[in-house]
Parts: sequence; C-alpha cells; structure tokens
Amino acid sequence: MDKCIACGTCAEKCPRKVTDEYNAGLGKRKAAYVKFPQAVPLKYVIDKDHCIYFEKGKCRACEKFCPTQAVNFDDQDREFTLEVGSVILAPGFEPFDPGVYDTYSYSHPNVITSMEFERILSSSGPFEGHLVRPSDHQEPKKIAWLQCVGSRDIHHCDNGYCSGVCCMYAIKEAAIAKEHAGADLNTAIFFMDMRTPGKDFDKYYERAKAEKGVRFIRSRVHSIEPLPGTDDLAIQYVTEDGRITEEVFNLVVLSVGLQISKDTLELAEKLGVEIGDGRFAATSPFQPVQTSRTGIYVCGVFQSPKDIPLSVMEASAAAAESATLLAPARNSLTRKPPELSEKDVAAQEPRVGVFVCHCGVNIAGVVDVEAVADYAETLPGVAYVERNLFTCAQDTQDKMKQIIEEHNLNRIVVAACSPRTHEALFQETLKQAGLNKYLFEMANIRNQGSWVHMNEPEAATEKAKDLVRMAVAKVALQQPLGEMQLGVTKSALVVGGGIAGMTAALTLADQGYPVTLVERKDVLGGHGRKLYSTWDGQPVAPFLDELIKRVEAHPEITVLTKARITDVQGFVGNFHTVLDVDGQRREVDHGVAVIAVGAHSLKPDEYGYGKSDRIFLNLDLDQAIGERDERIVTARSAVFIQCVGSREPDRPYCSRVCCSHSIENALRLKKLNPDMDVYVLYRDIRTFGLRENLYKEARARGVLFIRFDLENKPVVQVASDGTLKVTVKDHVLQRPVVLTPDILTLAGAIVMRESEADELAKMFKVPVNAEGFFLEAHAKLRPVDFATDGVFVAGLAHYPKPTEECIAQAKAAASRAATVLAKDSITAGGVVAVVNKDLCCGCQGCVQCCPFGAIDYLEREGKCEVNQALCKGCGTCAATCPSEAITLLGFSHLQLYAQIDEALSA
Amino acid sequence: MQNPFEPKILAFLCNWCSYAGADLAGVSRLQYPPNIRVVRVMCSGTVSPHHVIHAFQRGADGVLVAGCHIGDCHYLKGNYMTLKRMKFVQELIRFAGYNPERFRLEWISSAEGVKFAEVVRDFTEKVRSLGPAPSFEASPRLAMGL
Amino acid sequence: MKTKVRQLLEEGRVDAFLAYKTIHGVPFPTLFTKENVDELEEWAPFKARYPVTKILLAQARQNPGKTFGVLVRGCEERSLYELFKWNQLSPDKVVVLGQACTEDLALYCECKKPFPDQLDYGEAPAPVPRSRRLEELEAMPETDRLQWWLSHFNRCIRCHGCRDVCPVCFCTECSLEHKELIPARKLPPDSSFHLVRAVHMAGRCIDCGLCEETCPAGIPLRALYKRVNDLVENIFDYQTGVPDGKSPFSMLGDESFLPAGPR
Repeated sequence: MDKCIACGTCAEKCPRKVTDEYNAGLGKRKAAYVKFPQAVPLKYVIDKDHCIYFEKGKCRACEKFCPTQAVNFDDQDREFTLEVGSVILAPGFEPFDPGVYDTYSYSHPNVITSMEFERILSSSGPFEGHLVRPSDHQEPKKIAWLQCVGSRDIHHCDNGYCSGVCCMYAIKEAAIAKEHAGADLNTAIFFMDMRTPGKDFDKYYERAKAEKGVRFIRSRVHSIEPLPGTDDLAIQYVTEDGRITEEVFNLVVLSVGLQISKDTLELAEKLGVEIGDGRFAATSPFQPVQTSRTGIYVCGVFQSPKDIPLSVMEASAAAAESATLLAPARNSLTRKPPELSEKDVAAQEPRVGVFVCHCGVNIAGVVDVEAVADYAETLPGVAYVERNLFTCAQDTQDKMKQIIEEHNLNRIVVAACSPRTHEALFQETLKQAGLNKYLFEMANIRNQGSWVHMNEPEAATEKAKDLVRMAVAKVALQQPLGEMQLGVTKSALVVGGGIAGMTAALTLADQGYPVTLVERKDVLGGHGRKLYSTWDGQPVAPFLDELIKRVEAHPEITVLTKARITDVQGFVGNFHTVLDVDGQRREVDHGVAVIAVGAHSLKPDEYGYGKSDRIFLNLDLDQAIGERDERIVTARSAVFIQCVGSREPDRPYCSRVCCSHSIENALRLKKLNPDMDVYVLYRDIRTFGLRENLYKEARARGVLFIRFDLENKPVVQVASDGTLKVTVKDHVLQRPVVLTPDILTLAGAIVMRESEADELAKMFKVPVNAEGFFLEAHAKLRPVDFATDGVFVAGLAHYPKPTEECIAQAKAAASRAATVLAKDSITAGGVVAVVNKDLCCGCQGCVQCCPFGAIDYLEREGKCEVNQALCKGCGTCAATCPSEAITLLGFSHLQLYAQIDEALSA
Repeated sequence: MQNPFEPKILAFLCNWCSYAGADLAGVSRLQYPPNIRVVRVMCSGTVSPHHVIHAFQRGADGVLVAGCHIGDCHYLKGNYMTLKRMKFVQELIRFAGYNPERFRLEWISSAEGVKFAEVVRDFTEKVRSLGPAPSFEASPRLAMGL
Repeated sequence: MKTKVRQLLEEGRVDAFLAYKTIHGVPFPTLFTKENVDELEEWAPFKARYPVTKILLAQARQNPGKTFGVLVRGCEERSLYELFKWNQLSPDKVVVLGQACTEDLALYCECKKPFPDQLDYGEAPAPVPRSRRLEELEAMPETDRLQWWLSHFNRCIRCHGCRDVCPVCFCTECSLEHKELIPARKLPPDSSFHLVRAVHMAGRCIDCGLCEETCPAGIPLRALYKRVNDLVENIFDYQTGVPDGKSPFSMLGDESFLPAGPR
C-alpha cells in the first residue's frame, strides 16, 4: 500500500471485468480497481474473488505494468489484537433488495432502486451524471417513485418500521432529476404518508410541490407492468377519490428502505449486543446510544433508521458516552503532534501557485478550465499553474505540498469552490508545507461561477479568469499573519434545566468538568415534568426524578434556579457571564456554553381551544389520563386533530412529535376503555422509525384515521351546553362526517418564545432562524454547533424532537463542548485589526464603532490599540478611520483596492 | 456592429451572510447574469465609502453592497455602520449628479439564495437600462464648457 | 480685550494667547505671552479669517502641557467643539474669548450662527438660515449636476489647500495621498478626490468656508460640504459644531434606524 501511487495502470491493463457494486451494479469495473474516486486512502486493490491469477494461476498483468512494484500476490490476511476501553458500533445499513416484490418487475432494467438512481445522477457514476435509463440509455421524460418499498411492510418482508429517510430522498431525487433533465421532466412520487418531519424538511417538500412541479400522488401502487413493445412501464393506481388511473413511465424508482445486514447481525452476536425490534440494536430511549453491553455504544442506522443530522448527533453522543467512561484515562496514550515550522517568506517576492479545479464536471462542464489555467500563467507573480480533477482530494493535498517545496512557492490560489467549503483544508495543507496558512486565497468559480451561469459558458470562463486575477492580486499583497495562544477556562455553563440541559450537564460533569446549570424557574425538569411517557411507553417521571437527583447531588454541578442571564462577555474558552439569581447578582467564568432552553406549547387560536374544558393539548391529556380524570374516564368518544398550528403558511414547519404522541394517547384511551370511539384527524401520519408500530397497533385496536388537507380543515363547534361537534370531510367517503367527541385533543405546535430566545441569542452572538429556533452551524454536519465558537445547542431550542433525540443531542452538545475544554489553549489572532500608530491621530472614531469593544485608547500615547484577543476581524474600524490608519489584516485597504482595480480592469 | 452594453457590477459580500447566500444560490443552481464580480469581505462593515467611490472611479457601472440583516450581523452591529455609511454615500453621489440607483445596499442572509439571485438579476438589468456610468474622469475639455 | 488677556496671562490661567496683530494694515494671528502682551491691540471688528484653531492645535501638540487662550469667531468655536469631540484638544487646556462677525460677513458666509456661544466682543448679527448657494444647486436638474461639478473639479491642481486650511482636518496622514485610493501624478485628480474629501467632511465640517476661499481654482467647495452636512443632519439628526454628541460615522449606537430583518 505504501508504494501505490494510484496511477490506475493496473486497472487499465486488467483484462477481467466485474459488476461495479459501488455503482449499484449499473456499470463495470476491473478486478484490479479503486473502490471509488475519493477513497481514503486512494489506493488500488485486487478483488481476489474475481482475479484471473487467483482463479487460474495466469495473467499477473497488473504486476507487470505497475510502475512502483506495488503489487504483491503473496499478501496475506493479517489479524490484529487491540486493547480498548470502549467500542462504538456504526456498521450502517444495507438498502433493501426489492426482488421479493414479485409484482414490481424489479428484474426489468428500467425499474431501479433509489441507490441505483443516485449513482445515475452522480457525475462520477456509470453515466457521468447524464440522466439516462439503463435499458436503452435514452433520457426519460417521465419518472415515478414508489415509496415504502421494504418499509412499513410485514407481508413481503419483516420490516414493519418506517425507514425515515425515503420521503425526503425521493423528493430530493425528483428535484435534482429535474435540474439535470430540465423542468419539463415529469416526476411523480407515489406515497402513503409524506414524512418530512425534520428541520426545514416541510419547506423543501412544499417548494418541490409548488415551485418545481414535482407531482405527489397519495396512492399505494400494487404492480408495475412492463409495456410490451417498449422499454416503458405502466402503473395503475387508485386516486384519492376512488378512480382507477393508468400512467406510463419511462423509468420507475423504488424508494427502498434501510435494513440491517446479516453481517451486522453476526457481528452483534459475536459482541454480545442484543438486537431489538426491527433487527436494530436494542436501546432504551433514556440511553439512546447504549447497547445491552456496557462499554459498547451504537450510533446511526444500526440504532434505528434515521437521517444524517440525527446520525451525526448520535455519533457525537456515542463519543460522549465513550469519553465519560474513559475520562480517567484521558491523555494517557496521546502523543504531541510534530511542531510545524514556518518558512520566513517576508523578504521574498511573491511566487504564486495557482491550482484550477475541474470539480469533476461541476466546474469543467461550464468553465473552460484549460483556458483559465493558461490565463493564470500570464498573471504577474504566478510561478506555477496546475489543473486538478478534484483539488480537495487527499492525494492532491500531498501533491500540493511537494509542488510548494519543489517550485519554492510562497502564495497559493485555488480556483474552485467556495472558501466557505474548503478553505480550512487548504490552509492545513499550507501549514504542513511550511507556509503560513494565511498566504492563501480562493477564487470561487463554482458556487459563484459554473453553477450560476450554466447557460453562458464563455461569460463564466471570462468571469473565472477575472476572479483568478483578483485572487492573485490580493494574495500577492498578503503577508504572513501571526496567531497567539489563549488560555481555556475548563468549565461549562448550561442554560436550561430540562432533560436536555441536565443531560448535557451530567455528561460534562462526569468527564470531570465543573458545570453551572442555569434554570429560569424554581425547579428543574422543564417540559419533562409534563410528559407522561416516551413513545414506547416508558414512564418519564421516574427517569426525570433520577436525573434531577443525580444533577443535584453531583459534586461538579452547581445548580442555579430562578436565574436569568443578564450579560455575556468574552469568547470561546474565556466567557464571563453575569446572572441575576433570584435578585442577587452572580458572575461566572466558563469556557463553553450549551443552550438548552427548550420550547413551548402553542396555545391555539382555532378549533375552539379555551372555550371548553373538554378540549385538551396532548400534554394536558397526558396528565388527565394519568390522574384518571373524570372527563377521561366517562368519555365514550375522543377525537384528535393533528397539525394544529404546524405546517401552516405562517408556521411552515412540522412539530415532529405530535403524530406519535397523539397515537400513544389514543392507545392509552383505548386501553382504558376499549369501547371508546377514537378518531385521529390527520394530514400525514408521521410515525417515523420504529414508531410505526404505534400506528399499526392503533389501527388494529380500532382507532379510526380520517385524513384532511390544509384547504379543508375540520370545523369544531362548541355548543352552549359544552358539547363538542367536529365536522370533517372523510377522505374515503368524500363527504363530511360529523363527530361528537366527549374529549377533543389538539396536537398543537411546538413554538419558541421569541423574546427569550432572541435576547439569549444576542448575548451569545448566535443566530436564530425564521421560526425562532436556534440556527446551527450546518444542518447536516454540525447539528449542535454554532458558527460562534464555544456555544452549543441541544433539545427543543434547536427544533421540536422527542425525548430520546433530546438526550442524544444533549450528549452530542456536551461532546462537542468537551473538545474545547479538553484543550489547554486556544489559538486567536490571524484575521484581526491592527493600528498603525504612526498614522493614528487618536480621534477614537474606531473605539466607538467596534461591536466588541476590542479597541482601547491609550491615554499616555494618545493613540488607539486593538486587543487582538477580542478582535473578531469584522473590519468596521478599518472602514471608519478616514486616514486608513487601522487595517484589517487579510483584508487590508491595499488588498481591497487591488481587488477592485483588477475586477474592473478587464 | 457594436456589442450590446454589458454593465460591470462590483459587489461586496460579507462572508457570513451574503457570500454564503450567493454560495447557496450556486448550490441551488439558480441562474443570474455573469456581469457581477464579487469582493469577499468579512463584514459589510468592512466596506468603506472610499471603496465604493473608488469602484465608481474605476469604471464600475453599478456597485452592490450586501450584508446580514439588521440584528443578525455575525459581528453584532457591523452592519449598522454599513447602513449609515452607505445611505450617506448614496445621497452624496446623487448630489454629485450620479444616478443613485447605480448603488444598492441589500441585506441577504445565508439562507436567502433565492433573494441573492433575484437581487443580482434585478440590479444588473436596472444598471443595464441606465447605460454605462458617466465617467468620473475630469477632462480638460469640460473646463472650457464644451 | 487687552486687559482681559493680560489678566489671563498674569494669573497663569493661560500660558499663551492666540489673537491678532495688525501687520501692514492686515490682522495676522499672533501668539501673545506675558512678554509681548503689550503689543496686543484693542478689539475692533475685522473681516480677515484664518484657521486659528488649526494654528492652536499645532501649538498644543508642540506644547502638550500648556494651556492656551484663543479669540474665536462662531465658526472657530464650532471647530473647537469638534476638536474636543474628536479628542484632539482637551477642553481644560483651552480658554476661549469670543467675537461676533459683522453682518455683511455673516451674509457672505450664509452662516447659520455667526457668533460663538461664548460672546465677549461685538454684537451678534442675525443668523442666515438659508443658503442661496445650495438652493441654486438644488434647483439644477439632477442630470446637469454631474457635468456642472466636473467642470469645477477639472480646475483642481491638487494643492491640498482645502485640506491644509481646514480646522477639522487633523489626521496625521491624509488618505487623499494614498495612491491606491487616488492615483498619483494625475492633474486634474480623479473626482473621487473631492468625493472622498466630502465623505471625510461628513460629521466634521463646521462651515467656516476657508476651503473655498483658499482654493486657487475657485471650486465651490463650500456648497459641497454644506450639502454633506445637511445630509448628515437630515438622515442622522446630528449637527456638527455643538459641544455634545458624537458623529454617527464613529458611534455604533444602540439602535439602528431601520427595523430588524424579516422574521
């Protein structure tokens, strides 16, 4: 492996072709191959099962042609023994094989799984991103997606659960297919319930419907019939009003579910990890990442089917559990990274290296990369130019380091994607090559180039040249920037004493970090106090009591109740917060903060809420059932109305927990009184993951489900004698039905109290989204971080979610926070402002305009000075000073003028 | 045959909001005219009236400054300064006889890819309809009243 | 006035006093100390105007511990307020004696306040609220304005007189001389020269008019800077030349005058 340079000659010369499993069987690879173009490590391998030499003892062409003699046919399997303190299982899933659906014609080439469709869409896939169908490589005009294939199905397979991701991915595939093929592409998604309960997911669904014209047909399809004489497929389906319709499609995609593979189950058995419902690892909602065996943790789909944000949160949560377990052994096996030295380039003339990226076809498909590279060679200061397929690939980084050394480069420009994507990666490469990481600039010729000028390739190429010229001019003026080390206060502040807050506090405290837990009310517990049970019936109260006891007894946790935060100063590693604790002023120094302030139940202004004591919200119903309230015990009929205040134009999000909660309560009512008529009025039932069992059980027990849509909401009338009348148009009868429930429960939205959230957000300098929920740094990859370092979020404050997700996210937030606390120092500086004291006249214009108060006026000198530890690098001061005496390093006046001049010089 | 006038638009986008919004427009494959050239700054507050005036002097037909929404600035209040300065700059160039519609200040968040594309389209067309910006170059002939 | 100044010097309340001495029939700014206070004349109204506070600033910088006295007109007092606000002079190191301007001087300057708050000599004339210069300009259709301004800017020889004489221009290094901003060795300089100066004058200019009087090319600078400060007043509700407040261009402020973004 050390010798392989991934030149690809072995694959080229290998005579044996094999079905390419990475491209979902849609293409071929060789027996000598690389798993996929961005594999890490990027090394080629020989597939023993298909290699001619291993089969017949002949060939060995790869060995003959390998330029570095990297082929070793005598290589043996090796066994390693590792001594570890904990194990984290993230074995993932395998896509369901729809071959068992005998009526779906899966053997037909144009009936494919969603994974196969992903590979078709991919620019590194079998058709290079060109959307064509497998049989004749023609561009399809009409594509259908069938949902719930291998999920919510106990007939064809034993996967009664909902895979949780297929609705969203089908919408995504349809939307991207339209991008590739043109807006005329007819896309239809056949579904039972549209399950888009994640953050911003409903908005994506609505946009796909309204703006992109993706068709959504609520109907379960029985068969896919090949149309004789063509490569097309016919689908017959029943519409919501009972008509049988047939449509012909050029391509049908089966949205296959996620299931646990046999290999994984074998692994679990070897490890002694118990398997639970759906063949997923058995876990408890109160310990979502803990398996049946202490010290072995689980995350991702093996825990239960889920999407990326939740997988990432669970991964961090598993890391937190592991860290807590292993805390006593922290740093006992670590080594210090090698000190990187920096070349002194201050005296040198700029020698700029320019790397122009193809980004597969993302850039090269529109921009003439070669022309840009040729142009770059003509620019003053440029000493080296190269084109790359993917400049961000690991092997390109290694090459870059070599080139910097060989050509003695001291500035680098990468013309590729956005600096917001990969700047940090390239800066790291520069550091390792011995260059100051600030001697780097990117020209955004993808996100702000090829992707937005797809129909104007010449103009996009001219623009790319201009952007490269601007970047070269700017970086040529860049000097190395220094950084300083700051101390870290190794303690945390957790805001919010609910389940999420307490879990985060305990996770940090158990690792040995002191925590101050701040709670607004006079008791801990938050909304957990009102919740009866988790979705699978486990009572919350005993868990909550235990949690509160542990928190209050923990030697490292200081609980402050009746406390409000009044001021926050400082920055990551060095926060100073002022609190009002029951009238007393208190100050806390801490290194990190976790925001877990929770959310609130909407008090609906519709459906008669507040006009009768027989109209409940789910949390009130929890309590009433638990207390065996008179109204519940004597009720003969109950109605639940879903989506109250959610998924509406002025609140376009799904509150995620209500479908499960209502059905749970419906089941409890049925258990109390099996003869009670229980109705659930819904728009989509979103019992995702293993919660699907609730829905199944509810139907089995005779709960009736009536569907309505946004245009025809149920009407509730409260008579003067208090009786309730609910009128709803039944989706099967297509006629209004009048219900007279004794109790009506409204599944109300979960909302944020703007005033509280906004104030806290401003104090910690973190953003809040349009719906008032705290906005994480990245929806998928950083679901508990903020763009502001050192502050983290968990629980309902991030988005409505059920108990076990709150717990997982809280552990994740603690895990991320601990990465700061585990350090002994933090680096500051770099892009900060600096005053040229020779030019400063002491007018203090800058002092007053700094949003962070980072500039001081020095009386004795009569000049101003920037505190580089507090400076955040916004440059407001630099723009205020009329003599330009203050400069923002990295964005100096010279650099900005240079960029302006170059931009307009064409 | 003369080529149709293609306006030169110079834009200053703040790293945290408007630049990210522009990136999102790219991710979402929203299309807009290629006349725009972007200078990335950390905050819209980094943009000084000097830069705007210099841009017009150098031949920009339109200048766009985009930052975070008021109250949402990554640097808390950097954009308050931007607002004050840019409002003033617009009035100043109006007084000097320049069409103030050649300068635009917009608040575009990192989630508003759609808005970014719309603003660029709208602004480019507006500036195109205004024609090439009159030169800031003083020329001796003018002194003689010709 | 002679008595008063003599008293100030002898009591040690000032170390020197900046007033005027007639030389060749014209009043010139002169620094009086105990040694030469006898040469100080009695006050009589006069029209000659100088950047007195600029001279004062130079003196103060050279002699940091000393207290100075100064005879100021309305505009000169305004410039003092600005210098105090911009932290260039310390109010407890400056003692002020004020003189009013004559009526025809006030009319010529179109001055809104032709007398200082501290008025010791002369009778305050009526303030001139409206500027005819500005009104003429405002009346000009917008499309003609650029050519009108360019025709004036054209005559600029980049002597920097406007800046050098301006009492509120105190920067150690002037960005007008930064070649990246304003290209060097170009005559006339790009119009950005004047616009940049106008930007610097926003929130500072106190309408003394010395710039226009100094300009060898007769460029109507006063109108430009008057307009600039009208803009500042209209948009930000901020007046230059008053003792309190801070320029909107340096003060961040707690509120923006626009509502918060969409929610």
